[in-house]
Amino acid sequence: MNSMKHPRLLAPAAVVLIGTVMAVAVGIGHTWTDALVSEIVILFIAVGYFFITGSKGDIGAIYRRRTDERQRNVSMKASRLAMIVMFALCFVIALIEVASNSNYWQEDAIGSVGGVSFFVGLVIYGVRDEDTAGTSRGIMSSDTVDDASEVDEVRPPM
Amino acid sequence: MKNEVREFRRKRNLSQADLAEDLGVSRQTIIAIESGRYSPSLPLAFRIAKFFEVPVETMFDPTEEAVT
Repeated sequence: MNSMKHPRLLAPAAVVLIGTVMAVAVGIGHTWTDALVSEIVILFIAVGYFFITGSKGDIGAIYRRRTDERQRNVSMKASRLAMIVMFALCFVIALIEVASNSNYWQEDAIGSVGGVSFFVGLVIYGVRDEDTAGTSRGIMSSDTVDDASEVDEVRPPM
Repeated sequence: MKNEVREFRRKRNLSQADLAEDLGVSRQTIIAIESGRYSPSLPLAFRIAKFFEVPVETMFDPTEEAVT
């Protein structure tokens, strides 16, 4: 039973909450005028998010998190693109920082954490991707498959 | 992958939205399947075949590319 009266408001409310925390941080570190601008931008994003989740089509379904298999595939591809763009941006910014003799530890940290997260994801989802016989074929498995026929031997016939 | 989803759907006078609702997927997914831009997963392929009461081999032909 869905106890929420307006589930579509949940994500925009979270955006406003997190954005307000960010705006307060801006106010503390910079000026309260900057914080106000930040809060206005956050409100626009939250309103935009609300309308996007109400739209029909793939984008609305993905933001609503009510997806079918093809939309989940689309979402994964979009996430991968976002990850690639972020990594590339981190690299470019780090290059600029290095060339201007500035500290680039932030970009280094983002890139390093991202790379480790990717590896951890491979381990987690690889280990969990078990066949019906319960044999794990994740990358942490010590088994190596050199021949395709070896896979057929360990997996039960369908 | 070539498939007969559109043909069977039209025989039953179903809209893409109707079929999507019956199968529990989005209309865009039905459109993508019919046009050959998306190959459904095995469970979905079997659901489609079961819905139209035909064997899955009748509904989908993996050896042929869809002509969109």
